Amino acid sequence: MAVTWAVARKDLRAEWRGREMLPALAQFVVLALVIANFAFDVDLTSGPRLGPGILWLVLVFAGLVAFGRAFAPEREQGSLEAMLLTPAGPAAIFAGKALAAALLLMAVEAVLLPGMAVFLGAPIGLQVVLAVLVATVGMAGLGCLFSALAAQTRARDLLLPVLALPLWIPFVVVGGRTVQAAMGGALVPGQPLVVLAALDILFVIVAALAARVVLDE
Amino acid sequence: MSRLHVLAAAAVLAVLGAAGMIFLYAPEDALQGPVQRIFYVHVSSAIAAYLCFALVVAGSATYLWRGSLRADRLARAATYTGLAFTTNTLVMGIIWAKPIWNWDPSRTWDARFTATVVLWMVYAGYLLVRRFAAPGRTAMRLAAVVGIVGFVDVPVVHFSVQWWRTLHPGPVLDARGGPALPPEMLLTFAVTMAAILFLAGVLIAIRYRVELVQEQRAELAPATLELATR
Repeated sequence: MAVTWAVARKDLRAEWRGREMLPALAQFVVLALVIANFAFDVDLTSGPRLGPGILWLVLVFAGLVAFGRAFAPEREQGSLEAMLLTPAGPAAIFAGKALAAALLLMAVEAVLLPGMAVFLGAPIGLQVVLAVLVATVGMAGLGCLFSALAAQTRARDLLLPVLALPLWIPFVVVGGRTVQAAMGGALVPGQPLVVLAALDILFVIVAALAARVVLDE
Repeated sequence: MSRLHVLAAAAVLAVLGAAGMIFLYAPEDALQGPVQRIFYVHVSSAIAAYLCFALVVAGSATYLWRGSLRADRLARAATYTGLAFTTNTLVMGIIWAKPIWNWDPSRTWDARFTATVVLWMVYAGYLLVRRFAAPGRTAMRLAAVVGIVGFVDVPVVHFSVQWWRTLHPGPVLDARGGPALPPEMLLTFAVTMAAILFLAGVLIAIRYRVELVQEQRAELAPATLELATR
């Protein structure tokens, strides 16, 4: 647990001092919303209807970029091997990287959700925020697992979307449904959020188990 | 004629025999008409694909546990065969759904169809990992992870989409109170199922052999290069 915090703190501090990913991702998200605005010719009536789809599309692609970079700097500097040589377990190191990437994506969501309200006029309520945040946890677990896996191949940037997107479909299905209901004004009972949390638990455990094999070189 | 040739010929004959039963022996469905004859191959292919991917999981787990090269080769062979049968299932299903559901992907999206497409994507990804990872132990280890984790995802996708909107017919064979099929159809299905499973087994055996020969060639390549430049 201490290792997880230490690795996550290290990543977040590097991001805070360098300020590389967050500005770039925030810009990416806003650009994606502007493009969606023109591509779909959004007006006040179609905004809430198209909103959920646009939200999840942008979120998924922002996630691919954020998680794709999670293991790249370590690769480039060869520091992953150094971390793995310490007595810290690979699962704890992986959990730390995934935690930092999840927090980074949540910071991007803090730009995305207000952006949705500004550019698409989509109503952003507490339930939409909760659904997006809960889904981010499981997506980060799977995304970082495949990011670590793809980083060991020749086609890092190509392989991550191909591997991660099929496994994210449950989150998009359940999360998309929740957001759709919430934006449509219907009060969502707690059940979809419980399903999302259950998916989180399942995939975080699977990713942590698999991470031992992926990081073990 | 090697043993694989004999087995391959037998598999072709078995599938032709099944085709004969499907078109000549089985009665025509009263509601769906001739399109219903797709059912025999569609369902058998789906079951064969599931068994292939179960074999991928077993082979991958055995590889990670024991480091057995044979288990990895078996997983590879089963992936190719499973993908072929998944493709077959999807194509047959779409052809059947065209007249029966009035197929239109935007409105007739289905839980089982989605889960099958995801299954296809996951194992196509498995082959891509093989292609892009450094050959040898790295590729085997990484692909084994994809093979196992991907299998977990498929039931999850299926159930998450199921309580959305779904069209696929329910179980016909293990329906409550015995199979909901007349005996001629049931016999035709049993023969087709046996033929398809036999075909799948033979295809896995052939692919296993191909993979083995490719590995041997890769081992010999440096030596032949040396001979050629001598």
